[in-house]
Amino acid sequence: MSNCDQFREMYEAYALGALDPAERTALEAHLASGCAKCAKAVAEARWLVSQLAYLAPEASTSDMLKGRLMQMVRSEAKSSLPVSTGITTTPSGIPYWLSAGIAALLLLTLYFAWDAHRLKQELRAANERNQRNEQMIASTQHQGAASQQELTAMQEQMAKMRRENAILTDPASVKITLAAQKIQAPQMVAMWHAKYGIVLTGQKVPMPSGDRVLQLWLIPKAPGSKPMPSMTVRPDSNGNFVILVSNPPETSGNTKALAITEEPAGGSAAPTTTPKWVGAMS
Amino acid sequence: MFLAAFSPKDDREASPDAALVRRLLQNDVGAFEKLYDKYSRIVYSLVLRIVQQSGPAEEVVQDVFLQLWRNSAQYDAARGPFVPWLLTLARNRALDTLRLKSERQRRLENQTDELFSVVVAPQYEKELDEKRRAERVRALVGELNPQQKRAIELAYFQGLSHSEIAAELKEPLGTVKSWIRNGLIRLKEGLHTAS
Repeated sequence: MSNCDQFREMYEAYALGALDPAERTALEAHLASGCAKCAKAVAEARWLVSQLAYLAPEASTSDMLKGRLMQMVRSEAKSSLPVSTGITTTPSGIPYWLSAGIAALLLLTLYFAWDAHRLKQELRAANERNQRNEQMIASTQHQGAASQQELTAMQEQMAKMRRENAILTDPASVKITLAAQKIQAPQMVAMWHAKYGIVLTGQKVPMPSGDRVLQLWLIPKAPGSKPMPSMTVRPDSNGNFVILVSNPPETSGNTKALAITEEPAGGSAAPTTTPKWVGAMS
Repeated sequence: MFLAAFSPKDDREASPDAALVRRLLQNDVGAFEKLYDKYSRIVYSLVLRIVQQSGPAEEVVQDVFLQLWRNSAQYDAARGPFVPWLLTLARNRALDTLRLKSERQRRLENQTDELFSVVVAPQYEKELDEKRRAERVRALVGELNPQQKRAIELAYFQGLSHSEIAAELKEPLGTVKSWIRNGLIRLKEGLHTAS
């Protein structure tokens, strides 16, 4: 029996979302290994499953929904929403990061049931850090003791946190789950936003040996392409980390998977070990 | 490597829907309205069937179309036709809402969170209007035995896994797996024959 044969009966159920976790993990690992035959079969199964939508009894939306939606779209078409790097406030005087945090919590409730608790904690922690930074900036400005360099560093840190919040909470972000490969370790989760970049989070991750680091790789779709090196990280003493890739070396549309390898300190230009975590772009 | 196996097809890239989606990149409100008028009905029908209440269903539909508006670049015509992509997105959002509402934590991962998956229509697939497509799918699924149909509906509209469906229907797991797979294979063959 070829390696693919054991998955042949799973394609439709996978597309349907009906596989139990062990089967799903096995199939996803197989897909992540680059099996074109199974990937094509799964893609066709997704089309088949999508046809089940037509079993739903026909219903019509209210005119109010269309009116509300068109109003929002027209409004957004007139003004884009650039990412600010400075400290801005809403018209009501509420710091932007705080209003964004409130909005983000609402979004969390709606869209991220799967991980709401963890994300809320991260968001709260990020907002608390932002608040402390703002207080420090105000304090040091008042005392005249901080150098311009320190202030700039703090502002950059705040901009980074705002960006992380946006990526973690925007429903437009794509979630990529990186499953451990042949090691007993929790999965990692990456959120990829087309505009703001990638946030990769790990919890209770085994510490790399010596001074080695974990390195993120973007695996391009194009045949023969080499993995694109990205950020490196060493988890903290509890095995936790969060990294932000503001400018990924490749777009999500051109990427088929993310992978994590263990590399020497400073990272590598090309992987020197086999991936310990892999997550296919879905 | 494996995703690259699906080379772009010129006819798909040139489809009217793909052209409308491309216009969204230029903030073309008119293109958005056309897509909404064309597909909001099937999207809402699907979402309402899943979440069962009109208020939350409209919120999900709003979210789906806003996501389309704000992130139209995420749809890649080379990776598959537009409508299945949109329906997959809508189903996932609706199931997310359903799980949140009932506080179910059945998945270790985001099993249905495959928002930007590759969807490939089979060679025999032809462009059909929504009404004819609905008639065809309903007729074919209507031919399945009631238990088989029920199992497929539990998976699709409620997001239940094989094990959960087996528990719900009080049937052996293997039986449920066979029902679902054979049912979908029959649907596939029926769609092929009818095309």
